[in-house]
This record gives sequence, C-alpha cells and structure tokens, in this order.
Amino acid sequence: MEERLKALLESARAELAQAGSPEVVEQARVKYLGKKGELSAVLGGMGKLPPEERRTVGAIGNSVKTQLEALLAQAVGRADERALEAELQGARLDVTLPGRAQAPGRRHPVSQTLEDIVDTFRRLGFDVATGPEIESDWYNFEALNVPADHPARDMQDTFYVDGAAFGGDRKDLLLRTHTSPVQMRLMQAVKPPVRSVMPGRVYRKDSDVTHTPMFHQVEGLVVDRGVTFAELKGTLDAFAKSFFGAKVKTRFRPSFFPFTEPSAEVDVSCSICGGSGCRVCKQTGWLEVLGSGMVHPNVFKAAGYDSAQVTGFAFGMGVERLAMLRFGIEDLRTMFENDYRFLQQF
Amino acid sequence: MRISLKWLADYVALPADPTELARRLTMAGLEVEGVERPGEALSGVVVATILASTKHPNADKLSVTSIDFGSGTPLQVVCGAKNYQVGDLVPLATVGTRLPGGLNIEKSDKRGVESFGMLCSARELGISEQADGLLILDPALPVGTPIARALGLDDVIFEVNVTPNRPDALCHLGIAREVATLLGTTVKSPLEKVAGQGASSLGGVSVRIDDPTRCLRYAAKIIEGVKVAPSPAWLQQRLTACGVRAINNLVDVTNYVMLEVGQPLHAFDLDQLAGSQIVVRLPKGAETLKTLDDKVRTLHPDDLVIADRDRAVALAGVMGGATSEVTAATTRVLLESATFAPGAVRRTAKRHALHSESSHRFERGTDLSAVAQVAERAAALIAELGGGRVLPGLIDVYPHPKQPLSIDLRPSRVSEVLGVEVPMAEQERILETLGFVFSGQQRWQVPAARVDVTGEEDLIEEVARIRGYESIPVALPRGLGALAPAKPEVQAERIIRRALAGLGIDEVVNYSFVSPAELEAFGALDQAITLTNPLSVEQSVMRTTLFASLVPNVVRSARHQAAGVRFYEWGRSYRPDPQGGQGSRPVAFETQQVAGVLWGLREGARTWTAKDAACDFYDAKGAVQSVLQALHIEGATYEPLESSWYHPRAAASVKVSGVTLGTVGELHPRAAKRLEAPAGVFLFQLEVDALVKAAKLVPKAVGLGKFPAVLRDIALVVKLELPHQQIQAMIAEVGRPLVEDVQLFDVYTGAQIAAGHKNVAYALRYRAPDRTLTDAEVYQVHERIVAEVNTRLGGSVRKAE
Repeated sequence: MEERLKALLESARAELAQAGSPEVVEQARVKYLGKKGELSAVLGGMGKLPPEERRTVGAIGNSVKTQLEALLAQAVGRADERALEAELQGARLDVTLPGRAQAPGRRHPVSQTLEDIVDTFRRLGFDVATGPEIESDWYNFEALNVPADHPARDMQDTFYVDGAAFGGDRKDLLLRTHTSPVQMRLMQAVKPPVRSVMPGRVYRKDSDVTHTPMFHQVEGLVVDRGVTFAELKGTLDAFAKSFFGAKVKTRFRPSFFPFTEPSAEVDVSCSICGGSGCRVCKQTGWLEVLGSGMVHPNVFKAAGYDSAQVTGFAFGMGVERLAMLRFGIEDLRTMFENDYRFLQQF
Repeated sequence: MRISLKWLADYVALPADPTELARRLTMAGLEVEGVERPGEALSGVVVATILASTKHPNADKLSVTSIDFGSGTPLQVVCGAKNYQVGDLVPLATVGTRLPGGLNIEKSDKRGVESFGMLCSARELGISEQADGLLILDPALPVGTPIARALGLDDVIFEVNVTPNRPDALCHLGIAREVATLLGTTVKSPLEKVAGQGASSLGGVSVRIDDPTRCLRYAAKIIEGVKVAPSPAWLQQRLTACGVRAINNLVDVTNYVMLEVGQPLHAFDLDQLAGSQIVVRLPKGAETLKTLDDKVRTLHPDDLVIADRDRAVALAGVMGGATSEVTAATTRVLLESATFAPGAVRRTAKRHALHSESSHRFERGTDLSAVAQVAERAAALIAELGGGRVLPGLIDVYPHPKQPLSIDLRPSRVSEVLGVEVPMAEQERILETLGFVFSGQQRWQVPAARVDVTGEEDLIEEVARIRGYESIPVALPRGLGALAPAKPEVQAERIIRRALAGLGIDEVVNYSFVSPAELEAFGALDQAITLTNPLSVEQSVMRTTLFASLVPNVVRSARHQAAGVRFYEWGRSYRPDPQGGQGSRPVAFETQQVAGVLWGLREGARTWTAKDAACDFYDAKGAVQSVLQALHIEGATYEPLESSWYHPRAAASVKVSGVTLGTVGELHPRAAKRLEAPAGVFLFQLEVDALVKAAKLVPKAVGLGKFPAVLRDIALVVKLELPHQQIQAMIAEVGRPLVEDVQLFDVYTGAQIAAGHKNVAYALRYRAPDRTLTDAEVYQVHERIVAEVNTRLGGSVRKAE
C-alpha cells in the first residue's frame, strides 16, 4: 500500500509537470484528490489493514495528500501564469479608434469674453448688476445728460419700440443703446458707495462690416466720497493688464461722452504687434478699447445723488471687439450667424 | 473735419513735425485719425514746357516732343495727347517716378522712338477724374517746380475727429487756437472788430426775425456789381484739400469762410428776393420749398425758413432754396451770417434727412458773438475775388444779445476730481491761453465759441486735457473694505452653463429680435413687442421665445451638412407690461431664460460606437434633468403638456412644488414645416429666476449609512399608458422608510407581454440607518410593494427576487 501511495505521488508529479492548462490541472485534481479519486481509492483499503500498520500508512497517506496538494497548487500557479502570459500575448486593441466620449459643449466667444471681463472686475471688488434692455428715453438718454435734439444722439442710432402694445401711445420707448441706463437704475436703488459692473446686450441701428445691430457691453460705475480720475486710471490700467497681459500699456485720451466730464478714451498698446504698428491697430500701435470719465454732475442730479458729497467714475466697453482681439476673429458678423463650424472652435 | 496744415499756418506758427503735432492734438482730445500727404505720391513729377512737337514717324496717333524741365538739356518724350500747343506748361513724370495709379515711368521705346518720361493728364496724377488730354498748367509757373507745389498739394492734411461737444474746432481758426494753447504761442485771427452798430435795413433791403427763439441773430451784408466766375487756384486748392467742391467765387467764399472760422454763411441772389426783404419765420400753412438739391420739400410747421416778401427761400441753417441761388447772372448778393437755435436746426435737418455742413455746425452750436465779424470778413473776400462793391454798413438783427457766461472754478475742486495737485498758476495759465477771462474771485468768463463749457466740471476737463491725462497718476480705488457677496443668479448661471457644456451643448448668441414669421410659427406673435424702425422685417419683433432663434440655428446647420447639433442660448424673452415704464418700473416683462435645441446624431457625426443614434425626447429631458441635478433641485415632476410649440405626443412641463420651471418636448410638426426645419428637433426651455429660487447652491452633506444595503429588483407588467413617475412614487411611498432608492432599469413591450401593456423593471435599494437589515424584514416590505402594485396600479408582478 505504501508503494501504491508513492507510485501515485510520482505519477501525479509527472502528470502535473506536463499539465499546461488550468483545465488539465483540474482534471488531475479530480483524478488524484477527488472524492472518487485515486488517493481515496487507495486509502479506502486502509480499513483492512492491521491497526499498527494503519497508523503508519495513515501518516504516509496524509503526507502524500499534502504533497499532492502542494503539487497541484504549484501546477495551478504555473497554469494561471501560462494562461495570463497567453492573454498578454494576445491581439492588441486598435488604440487609435476614437474613444467613447461626449465632446464638451463650447462657450460662445462673446459670453466667454464677457465672463472674463466681469471676473476681472469682481477680483477688484466690483459687484454685478443688470437692467432692462427695453428702456425709456429718460433712462437711456435724458437722465444721462443727453437731452432731446442733442447731436450726441447721433453717436447712437436708436431702435424705437411700438408703444401701442403697452396700452398707451408712448413714443419714448426704445432698445437701450448702451448699458449706461443700468447705472441710473442702480444709483436710484442704492446709496453710495457703489462699485459695480453691468454687463448686457445693447442695440444700435447700424449694420455693416464693423457694426451689428445688437452687441454686448460691460458698464462700470464707482461712486464714493473723493473718487478721483487717478483711481479711474488705476482701475482701468489694472483691468487692461489683467485682461491683455501684464506688459500692456494704457493711454488715456480726452474725449466726449455726455454723461462724463472729464471724459477719456482708453487705448491699450496693440496686443497683436506689441505697439510697433500693424494692420489691426492701423499702424498706430494702439487699440481703442473703452470709454470712460468722471460721472457728470447732471447724471448724479438725475439719480438723486449729491455731487457736493460724492464723485465717481464710469466706463464702458464693447465685448465683441475684445473677443475679436482675443480670439483673432476677423469678421464681426460671424459672431451672430451661429454657424456650428464657428462655434465649435472655441 | 479735414484740416490743411498749409492753411492752418496762416493763423499759427506750426512745428516742423506734423506727426508730433497730430499726437499732441490727439492727446488733447482732438483725435487726428489720419494724416495725408497728397503731394507725396507725385514726387518725380515736375512742371515742364513743350519746346517742340513733331509727328511720330511710325504712329499716326503719337507725337514726339522735346521737353524742358529745367535740367538744361531738352528731353525727348513720346506723347499721345493732342490738346497742347508748343510753349504750354505741362506735368512731366520723369524716369523713375511711380504715379498714383501705380504706373512706373521708365525709359522706353515707343514704336522705334525712345521716350524719357511721360507727360501727364490730371487723371494720371490722381487729382481728377477727367482725362481730356494733358493737364495744361498756369503759364506763370517756373519750369522745374515740383508738381505738388505747383498744384498746392505740398500739404499735410489732418483728418480730425471732432467730438459733438466741440463745434469750435470745426474750422481752421478753432484748431489754430488749440494748437496755440498746446504750443504756448498766439493766434492771428482773420476776423476784425466791427466798427459801429448794425441796423435792420440797408440799401433798401430789410431783415425781420419773427421767431427769436429759433433765430437768435441775423446779420447780412450787401455786395453789388459782382461778377460770378471760378475762384482763383489757391482758394479752389484749399477747398479741395478740405473735401469741398469748388463751384464759383461767391459760393466758394461762403464755404471758405465757414472752414476758416466755423460760421456757416449763405449767399442769396438779391434780385431774386421779392420785396428786397428777408423774413425769418415759420411756414405759413402748407408751404413748399425747392431746395438747392432740386427737391421740393413740404415744410413742417416747426421748420424755420428764410423768406422774402412772398415765399420761403431757404431752410434756415440747413440748405438754401433753388429760386434765390447764385447763378452766372447774379450781380447783387445778400450775404447771410446768422445764428439759429441748435435744436430747431437739428429737427429740421433730421425731418428732411438733410445733413449739411451748415446744419452740422448749427446743431452743435456756433459763436453768436462773431456773426457780424464773419459777415464783414466774407463780404470783403467776395468783393476782392468777385470784383464787386460792398455796401457800407451792416444789417444785424440781434433781439436778445447774449451776455458772456461766467463760471466759478474752486481751485481745490480740480485736485479733488483729478487726484493730483494742479497749482493755481497752472490752472490760470491753461484757462487764459484757451481764451477764458478771469473776472475776479473764482470766476471765469467763457469764450463765446466754447459752447460746450457750461459748468465747473468742464473747466476741470480743460485743465486736465491741456495739462495732459498722462500727467495724472495711477491709483486703485480706496475704501470699500467689504467685497460684494456673490449673487445667487451669478452663481447659478455658471452652474447651469457648466452642466450644459458637460452635455456637449454648444452655446449660441442670437439677436433678440426675429421675424414675425418665426414667432408666428410658434403661435407666439401675439403680444410681441414690435420695433417701429427695424433694419429689416427679419429683425422687427422682440422674441417671445428663444425657440424662434434656436430652430433657425438648426435649419442653418442642417443646410450646412451638419449631422447633428445641440445648442443652447442664455437670453431673455420680452412681453409688454401695460403698467411698464411708470416711474422706475421696467418698460417690459423681460424674462431671463435658458433654452436649448437638440437635433440629429447624438455625437454630431456618425461614430463607430453609437451606431448613428439620433437624439430623441429623452435627450432633451436629460439635459433638463442634468441642469436640475447640477443645481441640487430635487423632486421635479414632469407632466404632459398641451402647447402649440410641441408635438402633442412628446411634450412636458417641469415643476417643483407646483412651480413651473420650464418645458421640454419635440418641435411641433406644423411649426417645423413653417420654419422648414428637419424632423426630430427637440427643445427645452427653463426659467432662470425659478431655477435660482429652487436651487440649493450650497448642498448640505449627509452622513454615509454605516450598515450595508440590500438590493432587490422588481418587475411589473402594467398598462402601457401608466406613467413611470407614478409607479416610482408609489414604490417609494410604500417602501418608506426602508427603500432608499428606486431606479428604473428596463421598459419592455412586445412578445410575451400582453397587448396594451409594458414590462417595467426597477432596482430597489433597502437600507436602515441603525442596523443591518434581515432578509425577513426586506421580504416583508417587498411583498407589501408587490401587493400594492396589484391593487393600486392595476398591474401584476412578473417575478420578484
């Protein structure tokens, strides 16, 4: 019986050494260690042995079983490794096939730019306010020191709204030509100090290569005791450096806006050529990017602020122009055609 | 405004470098937008005389000329023109010249005869459209003179962008004043003091102002025995340099003096003025007037006119009339120099769409004090050029002489506003050189031409701009310690936009106005706000729904071969508010919305993974759900919706606690047809204010359950029309509190399911917060759910695990 057990062990050792696949190893396990396997068959005859021999054979049997199990475990390990090796050697995926992904939705260049402008001013401590796009003549012009029959109205060709829909026959309703009426509404609503930017859509009756009948502006207003022109310069210089880059230079030039006095046009050194002159800046080295000035006392008066107590500055910029500079968009009109091939570039 | 530096130099000494002068003016608020050097293109062209001309031996149409251009040796030039005689002076383009048209002049062989240059026509020099042969020059010109100098083109022209507040700068004298202030020199004015008072009549001619609010002053001079003829070359050259066409000596003088000192003038043929009268009045009844542009204009009761005894002869301050126009036959002239009220001129000019050099200046304001001086100046010039005799004396009707305006300037206020100390002496120096007169205390008298200066702030601007804005330091605003808290609507907007971007939805920005047809297609034209003066009918109504723009965006994309697009827009819809515009109430209801459109293949193109799957209703609904999830809005319900916008079989409203947040659905086939939209367009629209109110912008964390969950599935067969939302709600209700989550994972109709029924399968997650659930506990609840489904939903359970 002892010989049989040893023969069994040797036979298993030889068989498992040959076993290549997990399936073959499993067959060997069943064959040797299974309930009806060979080990059981041999040991099944133990009952017929005398007791002292039984103990010896039992010990040998246990040892054979342990050794068989160890052999099997090794064989399993080898077989798994071999299978893994085969798997690793298998056919490669075509990693160049496109992935399964949702392409990100793109943000319109104008709204991206508008958000960047607003964020820049928020970092400078500005709040954000909005106001109506359909306005009265008073908010859009009169209150901003642009009386009727004033030539400054030619600076902004206006769309008028049919008053019949409003239950009356008002002829003074219009689409705001700038975001400045929001200044007035804001000052009517809150006491100084004020430090806000006011983004939004504005409308002018103009359509050509460089004008669209709707565009976006960001208006800014700072009112407090003792606000100065120097702070206007500092704020807008900080904005320009944040938006265009730290190296950009600003230039403030006297200009005219009815709602500010003194007024300033703000130029930045051309972001395309760096100031040496190019097609974009028309060889001047400067780009006109925003208008600004100290709030006119008549505007404070219309808002119910006392210009003996407070001073302030205001500014406004066209978002489309900044977006065109930033993204190198050459034709303004493509902004509102919403061609998917255009939108997906941003 | 075009400013000729040659002309400007008559009044002020100019620096050598025009570029630097342009920069100085720009930095003082008179922006020089362009600097032209018209003579530059003509270098190499000189005045030459034709010594001899013979026929070309080989060409009938050509001549061979011998030319002297002052070099000492005659030059042989072949010429095609015939309009000259030997001895004439003509322009010669010498070899090496590049003419304005781009032609390079080289030594050439013209059919066997050598030619060393080219004799030029006015067109070849780029100074005229006419090309009738050679330009024959003034015989007095010295041979060899550069042609630019000979023609007065050796000039520099500034294109100055004069802002509407600075009418004083709409003339050479005004620019000269500014230059003098900037350079610290003085101006030599062409205007002289007028001796004596004007009268209301002179030499049998009378002037009367019937409307002194619209006509503030009217001066006139009478010139007799004039001879209408072309103006001399120097005057024509100056007008041309400023972009004004020369007409005849009388008209040219009125334009010249206007460009010189800024006062618009008009010359009437005195013999055509009935009754030798000028009456400045409003129209009488239905009056008409034929203006200089030959248009007959029906006058509005508000149109101020210049009339003679019988009828209107000019539209005051805007344009003269045809009947009293100066003609070749004119010998007696009434020269008008007047001031009309800016608003009145502007209304008339607008009404008749007549924007003239004259109305442009009157609208902005002219120098009331200079009216008589200018009349004298222009009359003298007419007499000088037209050979007439100026009647001594002056008509000058000035009902309410205006006192000069005086303004207080507190010296300390300058630094308060500018943020920099400007010494008193400097403030005074600047204002004085600008012509302001100190009249004691803090008081400054404003020069009459500076109609824009009316308050202290204007004086501060004068000081600031002449001193230079670059001299003001740069500072960040002081004060305001607290930062403004982020507004919920600003936060929510960003969250929503991020969610939509994550869904692959591209943002569009459309005009807020659309065509009535686009709104009509949605049945949304009623109550739309209309523009009274749109650019086109396509942009004439304010949109009441963003879909009116988004669906056309899809149509356009489809037309451009897109296989699928997803767009969203952040914008407003507009409706009238009957109480709008009262006080500070906004004029209209402007509702902030975010709306989207999905059409075609999900990934925008055919892909190997998705096997050409097209968007459907559930993509649009998924977008809505994602937005709500991003904002942590829970408990939204979706109810079928009847709407003219949506297909009746696929439309829903989205509500939370009874408040409608928006709608979602498939574009109604009728609307699609009217908009020529492709099939399968899915839309959603959300109200931003409602979203912001319902949003939980800062979600609160809850602890994670410590005990394991038990997962069980349930499959039900229910009537086809039974909404999922109802089943899910019932399972959740019956399963409370142990059922933590109910997730639909299958909807099936077809084989093995009875007609009119569907199989729906849900994954349920059971969990207790305080213990590990036993199988028995879960079983009990699960069985109760099964039972309730049968009784309450009229369904049956297919199998339960």
